[in-house]
Amino acid sequence: MNKALLAVLLSLTLLSTWALSQETWPQPDWPQAAEINRLAWCQVQAYAFAPRDDRNREGVRTDALLVIKQGQVVYEHYAAPTSAQTSHLTWSISKSVLATLLGVARQEVRFALEDPVARFYPPMQAHPAVRLQDLLHWASGLDWQEAYEYAPLHSSVVAMLYTRGREDMAAYTAARPPAAEPGQRFLYSSGDSNVLAAALRTMVGPERYRQYPWDALFTPLGITSAVWERDASGTLVGSSYLYMSARDLARIGLLMLRDGRWQSQQLLAKDWVVFNRTLFTKAVAEPGEANPGGHWWLNQPLPGGERPWPDAPAGTFAALGHWGQALYVVPDEQLIVVRYADDRDGQFQHNELLKRVLAAQSGGRP
Amino acid sequence: MKRLLLLLLLLVGVWSWHERQALADFPGILSAYSAKEYCSCRFVMEFDVPYCQAYVGQYLPLSRLEETTQNRQVTAVGFGIERRARWQGAHEGCGLLP
Repeated sequence: MNKALLAVLLSLTLLSTWALSQETWPQPDWPQAAEINRLAWCQVQAYAFAPRDDRNREGVRTDALLVIKQGQVVYEHYAAPTSAQTSHLTWSISKSVLATLLGVARQEVRFALEDPVARFYPPMQAHPAVRLQDLLHWASGLDWQEAYEYAPLHSSVVAMLYTRGREDMAAYTAARPPAAEPGQRFLYSSGDSNVLAAALRTMVGPERYRQYPWDALFTPLGITSAVWERDASGTLVGSSYLYMSARDLARIGLLMLRDGRWQSQQLLAKDWVVFNRTLFTKAVAEPGEANPGGHWWLNQPLPGGERPWPDAPAGTFAALGHWGQALYVVPDEQLIVVRYADDRDGQFQHNELLKRVLAAQSGGRP
Repeated sequence: MKRLLLLLLLLVGVWSWHERQALADFPGILSAYSAKEYCSCRFVMEFDVPYCQAYVGQYLPLSRLEETTQNRQVTAVGFGIERRARWQGAHEGCGLLP
């Protein structure tokens, strides 16, 4: 009996080792797929890299587009001066990478989702009912106006980044008045993300904080191009100011695609990616806009709604940033897409790009 | 006619008082935005000067945008307000100076 059990265990171990060795990882760099059907990617190229109107800054203006299928590069193109080496601004993709970094801290059991934020960031004692999961759902209930250049007078994010808030962005956010019950209403707020970035300092300790993104996440993944700017108080600008190359950002995508595991190491707590990919059902659907999960964006429909990107599978999730920055993960197709851009108007459509990428990666098959 | 003008002035006055903080902050946005984003464009993304000048360009023009390549510092002046940003390190990128 024991022998039979041993045999089963041994074969299971061998099988999983075999399965692991079949996976492709970017070690040290991303491998290129042996055969790329260039013709199939014409429609992607035509949309993403349409003749560029830099003079008027109009239309779709892609800086970088990288597509990874089953761990291999199947499409990669850059518009000068951006190159494979450029540490490009990711804007609000930073928020989702911050959430992934928090997943490592969660694996180290440094907090629980239900913990009050005030335990890790004392200025939030003014709002004792706000929990970490509320910040991760952008549902702190704190009053916030997230708009950039179109409403500079009343934009909380402009004030936070450039005027009253710039010395200490988390403190600026914590001083906002409440506008709703915590956890009850989705209100997209860069301030919520920066309070998380400040809470991380207490979670991991002030000595480790400075190096933590590198020690906990970037170095284990082989990311070498990351730059993460801070405010004057030393807090990571978790909302906006992470830079890295397209190839390095795709590593974050692969970690998420493989449920927080990097090769044989479970880097993120197992239930963490599940949380990231679980819909915050109190959000209200907005046409064409992805729905919020745990600091990542989901293509799952909200109750009674449609898929935000109808041409992509419902399991598609993404990290999204201002001016068209995007990291999409399509688990159904083992696909990762990184797009860097400088879109200054609303012409670019996530669904259109995903539709063309999905068609191209299947080699024209429906 | 005079009454209407007076009423209009009164309304503008009330609005300005109501928005006093936002109005006071407004002139500083352009120079702070330009200094910070230009600094990162040049010294983090490592793009060239003409590209970065266009990258931070807004409808409202700056009266000055200068970089000191030596210490990687950027000075921007708009609406008569000066803001400076400086490159802080390979991991830290740029930040506005107090």
